[in-house]
Amino acid sequence: MPRQCSETCLELLALELVRAYGRQSRVPPAAAVDAIGFRTGRQLAERYTANRARLGEPLEVIKFVCKEFWMEVFRKQVDNLRTNHRGTFVLKDNTFRWLAKLSVDPAPPAGAAATRAVASVAELARDYLVLPCALVRGALAHLGVNAAVTAEAAVPPACEFTVTIKPR
Amino acid sequence: MVAYNIYFFNRQGTCLYYYEWHRPKSVRQGAGTSADDQKMMFGLFFSLKTFAAAMDPRQDNKSLGAPLRIGEACTFHSFCTNNYKLHFLESPSGLKIVLNTGPDAGDLRDHLNYIYGAIYVECVLKNPAYTPGRPFSCELFTARLHHYIRSLGL
Repeated sequence: MPRQCSETCLELLALELVRAYGRQSRVPPAAAVDAIGFRTGRQLAERYTANRARLGEPLEVIKFVCKEFWMEVFRKQVDNLRTNHRGTFVLKDNTFRWLAKLSVDPAPPAGAAATRAVASVAELARDYLVLPCALVRGALAHLGVNAAVTAEAAVPPACEFTVTIKPR
Repeated sequence: MVAYNIYFFNRQGTCLYYYEWHRPKSVRQGAGTSADDQKMMFGLFFSLKTFAAAMDPRQDNKSLGAPLRIGEACTFHSFCTNNYKLHFLESPSGLKIVLNTGPDAGDLRDHLNYIYGAIYVECVLKNPAYTPGRPFSCELFTARLHHYIRSLGL
């Protein structure tokens, strides 16, 4: 029976990680969180592919990430996967659990202020998406797919991860 | 059964959240201002807690005047008047939830516990955008709270 940790602990840890790195200024926070996520992603990928067959094609690796990896790390599967068949994949998750609790005070009804408030939630979400992006990047790298991962959350908790495979 | 209003106080007495669904008598006729209203409410619990502990016929400890820690001694749950019933819950961290409903409400302790555990803790404490101790009004919390209160038939 693998050791388990409560989900609350993980949520609060991820939240405080971003805030703690944001508060200090010795290292650039995004880079630090990215490095942590990358290393963790590699280790997680190793753990979750321990007993299965080798994954060859990049598409298979991406499908593994969308199903098993997402299920283990984010407790559900990716809802939608699109590709342009030239190395770019877009993974869409309609209720990304790590962003499910992010919420701000209700916006005032005036037009310009409301759009500003929506923009601020999306910006806030960006800080908290650095860690998941790095996890995915680390997992892909460990399975042989060298890619850049970015994420955008226009309307939290729905968010899209864009994976761009780097040409050799 | 109708819900009138709800208050959330922190340990120091700051009102973190207040919402009223239905309050026919305006605040001005009652306590004066919103701030006075909240101060009176908070002062009430402090006195009631001390009173309840002092008048407890069963326990035989605690000299009068010793500071009461949360959860120790007897805790009061609610009081009822002919017009409304006030329900109270104090969490171990000092957060106090007060809910005023109609007098025929029954025991809402489990519901208050749910409001604390599943709504406040989930939506407020785990919200990355929230600094603990400050007043809050985030949309997710408000939506869930109203939905829950409505589902209770209040």
